[in-house]
Amino acid sequence: MGLRAMRYVARKVVLFLITLWAAITLNFILPRLMPGSPVDAALAKLASSGQPITNAERRAVEIQLGVPHTSVITQYWDYWTSIVHLNFGTSYSFPSETVAQTIGKAAPWTLALVGVTTIFAFIIGTLLGVYAGWRRGKAADTSVTLGATFFAAFPPFWLGLLLLYVFAFTYGWFPIKGGYNPGETPNLSLSFLTSAVYHSVIPALTLAITSLSGWVFGMRNNMINTLGEDYVTFAEANGLRTRTVALLYAARNALLPNVTAFGLSLGAVVGGSVLVEGVFSYPGLGNLLYIAVVNHDFPLMQALFLVITVAMLVAIFIVDLLYVRLDPRVRQ
Amino acid sequence: MSIVSPVPPPEVPGAGVEIRVGPAGPIPGPLRFLGRALRTLWSNRKASIGLVILGLVILVAVFAPLLAPHSPTATTFVPYQNPSATNWFGTTGNGQDVFSQMVYGARISLLVGIAAGAMATLVAVTVGLIAGYRPGVIDELLSFMTNLVLVIPGLPLMFILAAYLQKRSVWTIVFVVAFTSWATGARVIRSQASTLRTREFVTSAVFSGEGLFRVVFREILPNMTSLVAGSFFSAATAAVMAEASLEFLGLGDPNTVSWGTILYYAQQQNSLLTGQWVLVFAPGLAIALLAVSFTLINFGVDALSNPRLREK
Amino acid sequence: MRRLSHAKSMTICAAAAVLALVGVSCSSSSNNGTAGSGTLTIQGDSGNPTLVENFNPFQGSQLHGTNLIYEPLEIPSPIDGTYTPFLATGYKFTDPKTLVYTIRQGVKWSDGKDFTPADVVFTFNLLKKYPALDGKGVWQQITAVSASGNDVTLNFSTPNVPFAISIAQTEIVPEHLWTNMADPTKDPNINPVGTGPFTLGAFAPTQYSLKKNPTYWQADKIAPSEVLFPAQASNQSTNQLDVVSGKFDWSYNFLPDVKTTYVAKDPAHNQYWFPPGGTIALYLNLTKRPYSDVNFRKGLSLALDRPTIALKAVNGYLDQASMSGLILPNLNKWLDPSLPNQGNVKQDTSAAQAAFTQAGYTSQGGKLVGKDGKQASMTIVMPGNFSDWVAAAKEVVNQLGSVGINASLDLPQYAQYSQSIQAGTFDAAIGGFGGSGDPYTDYSLALSSSFATPVNTPTANNFERFKDSSVDQALSTLASATDSSTQMQATYTLEQVMYTKIPIVLMYYGGSWGLFSTKRFIGWPSAANPYTLPTSYNNSLLTVLTHVTKA
Repeated sequence: MGLRAMRYVARKVVLFLITLWAAITLNFILPRLMPGSPVDAALAKLASSGQPITNAERRAVEIQLGVPHTSVITQYWDYWTSIVHLNFGTSYSFPSETVAQTIGKAAPWTLALVGVTTIFAFIIGTLLGVYAGWRRGKAADTSVTLGATFFAAFPPFWLGLLLLYVFAFTYGWFPIKGGYNPGETPNLSLSFLTSAVYHSVIPALTLAITSLSGWVFGMRNNMINTLGEDYVTFAEANGLRTRTVALLYAARNALLPNVTAFGLSLGAVVGGSVLVEGVFSYPGLGNLLYIAVVNHDFPLMQALFLVITVAMLVAIFIVDLLYVRLDPRVRQ
Repeated sequence: MSIVSPVPPPEVPGAGVEIRVGPAGPIPGPLRFLGRALRTLWSNRKASIGLVILGLVILVAVFAPLLAPHSPTATTFVPYQNPSATNWFGTTGNGQDVFSQMVYGARISLLVGIAAGAMATLVAVTVGLIAGYRPGVIDELLSFMTNLVLVIPGLPLMFILAAYLQKRSVWTIVFVVAFTSWATGARVIRSQASTLRTREFVTSAVFSGEGLFRVVFREILPNMTSLVAGSFFSAATAAVMAEASLEFLGLGDPNTVSWGTILYYAQQQNSLLTGQWVLVFAPGLAIALLAVSFTLINFGVDALSNPRLREK
Repeated sequence: MRRLSHAKSMTICAAAAVLALVGVSCSSSSNNGTAGSGTLTIQGDSGNPTLVENFNPFQGSQLHGTNLIYEPLEIPSPIDGTYTPFLATGYKFTDPKTLVYTIRQGVKWSDGKDFTPADVVFTFNLLKKYPALDGKGVWQQITAVSASGNDVTLNFSTPNVPFAISIAQTEIVPEHLWTNMADPTKDPNINPVGTGPFTLGAFAPTQYSLKKNPTYWQADKIAPSEVLFPAQASNQSTNQLDVVSGKFDWSYNFLPDVKTTYVAKDPAHNQYWFPPGGTIALYLNLTKRPYSDVNFRKGLSLALDRPTIALKAVNGYLDQASMSGLILPNLNKWLDPSLPNQGNVKQDTSAAQAAFTQAGYTSQGGKLVGKDGKQASMTIVMPGNFSDWVAAAKEVVNQLGSVGINASLDLPQYAQYSQSIQAGTFDAAIGGFGGSGDPYTDYSLALSSSFATPVNTPTANNFERFKDSSVDQALSTLASATDSSTQMQATYTLEQVMYTKIPIVLMYYGGSWGLFSTKRFIGWPSAANPYTLPTSYNNSLLTVLTHVTKA
């Protein structure tokens, strides 16, 4: 690596650290700007039945939840101390376990559901994009792009609701809610894994359908651009079979920009399924985040934002570093 | 990056788009410019479909009082009714006419889409152009801000902001969506601007002693009209979807009648359970159609900027 | 709803799994093929997204099943206040400040040890030592607890006969185990040992089961051998779909159009009972003008068409609420016969206009305009996710609009709603009133001036900040009265205040949404046999499970 590249990397590292600090600080500020107190949210269940809450009940909940009465500066110091120790305290909504445990339990579900969905959407979308780009202007191209446009415009939660209604409720082919059979404890046994897969089918289908189009369009446009490059024309003129040209030259080169977009999108995976997980009551991070926001669960919300933000930061940082290898122009 | 935006942004500078570059001619009057742009878009088949849908939605929104047979808020009908001659789309659990709500709802969705799209684009263009044209500290600072907004997850950030703003109105949603979705456009515009900065016609303009604003807005901006338009339509698509999401979660203004709030109340009153699938189906489809129209128009815009994407 | 045969559904789901490229085979997800096996399935706690194991009866975050593991001394009916004895065989006030319970003999803890009056004394002292556990505020009322023979005596600081309702419902825990617990305010008590009819079976993140306790002192009354509590989702509409698909013997859920959506799915077995469990009211901030003017409140009350509000909010399952503050017909015996039409107020817009005129508001061009020339307006706050409240409020907005008041909704999250009503910064709010089954408790919480803190000082009760010396007088009379005619007279006074001074505009009865299947078990609470409310999240569980029998 040359000196210039080293300087570029060093600069990126410093920038990464400053962004990390700013993002983490923003994560600290945002939840505290929200009105309301978690104690009230904890009393919500009682009140929803129309029963009044006594002052005594209220005080008992307050003592238990440990509402922070300390100053903001002290809270900020504590916040950093806890992050350094990876200790996010105890959440209000899940008082009997640490926030790290709560997130730890939910993270695999989101990573598996959205991660796997994204990988499949990427593969299928890219293949469709290559095909559409190759057949540009033809009927096949039009139907692929119009179809993808239409599916992409579906609000994911709406598509989820419809699929839930038809396949889970009306016909009973799939479970209505959850990530696995009630009564089972997560483990790696075949029976548990099959029940998990069974429960993930409609949520995954919903996410895949609505996220397919990005990859189709990205790839189609890149294909069309690459097909216009001189070296493709040159290869074609050299008498290679057109299919080989398409796959070996055009698609491979068109893929590069899409791969970097893929890295970025993986960072967004964690936060991407809030509504869909909500509709299916899927036991992942998205559902957890919504619960945390509704319950004003400061520790849980902070930690979730931290996880999501840091995931995205790291993804973008890696993409930045990859530029050094992929695109020499960036170094200038 | 906004989660609801379905299209991954072209992150690699110059990868997705190539732009005709040259000194801009005399800038035509805004009306003639718009007319020419519309004509060019109309020649693109996909864009023309988008324009037709958008035109229909605009007509419905403008003439809502004439088209809607009933008041959208009157709770005078029998609740949970299926479609009938009086209530074409049935009634809500509160006894409101769903068809009238759909007609009036077009106004809010359209307003949010256009207003949030415009606001986000304004921020994106300003930040992107200045950052792209002023390398060094200003670029670093603005790019830093852009990156910060990009890495904060869009939809969760929207939830928090929407929950934070106590007095909720349609403008809350416009503001929240604009605040969270300008960064993608700014990044694209910045990279394009920094490429253009080094081209001869810009350098020569600078040498001839033109000021910053003149160079940026007269020399650079006209060369990326399609990027700006693209960023507007992307932001508008994202805004329509984000509005629906926020309202569906009950984070919108409950007093307004919009496609998002119809979905929210349909979910609260469990219209699927009572068999009133129209209440869920119609607003979702309308949101999808509006979003499709923006995306289709964006195809035309892309084709304008990139001759290779033009249809033969 | 159509049910596929098992084999067919397996094929379909396997095919779909392959379609979604996650291809493994499918498993049967059935957990309810338990007919005849004595398993009773109750729609359980909200798992957000998974259940948190907690069987500590005092923490507030315990799972519902805790109510079947521990027993209180007695359970008062939430409908009319009648006591059913559990660990006590009876109680008496030797004077208005001394309450004596006679403790049941021959009861064993589920680990085989004997239950004794010392356990009762220990439990109350535990609440004294750890105020965080004392959710009912027992030690704000009592000064000492002691045992002698089979009697446990509690001494009150002031006369408060109605407070027995809180003492009686305190769950009793075993001294021999809890005395060693390091911190009962934190301990989730995951190996609960109680006197109740069930013990903990298996716990999984989305479901737990309880097994019948063979040594239970009234084991012959317990029909199910096992009780399952599958977790609810945080998403209400998903839960409704779950209920309708027939998984539960007993669930607690509001359903729109219940006859079509639930009963019609299995007309032979599916039953519902939606008795009133509280009153849903329009709270007005009495520290603000014009709500502080009783004439304005009277106008508001007369402007409302309560049956229509009830129709829109709760599908007409429940009636309009009597302005007496009593839930009728449950508390008919307390009703002041001099109240016209049992305290039910009919919409009368001309009388409403007259009252508004007295308050200084006149109708001008369809708008109700005050002396300052401004239209009367109000913002009604309620949690956005309480859909029946929101539906009621929308109707209220329309009805007030037709008398010229410009009302609008504010639907924040619960926390923010709670903050604004507690601090007294709201204009108007939808809220719950009453429902304890005991008039004193209902009126005292809603009207006692001791709760009426200044604006911006939070209070958990009397949000409207009503102050009236005749109410305070009647409440203290009621607190120390042990004879029924004094109790009646004091209650009549409170009903008259509610009816004439309208501190709270009561609208309709909030429902208790009991949904039952008689496929496997019968004897559920019903209109014909209203022994308790069908609430599956509190000690009604214990009452119901000592009543149901196998079908």
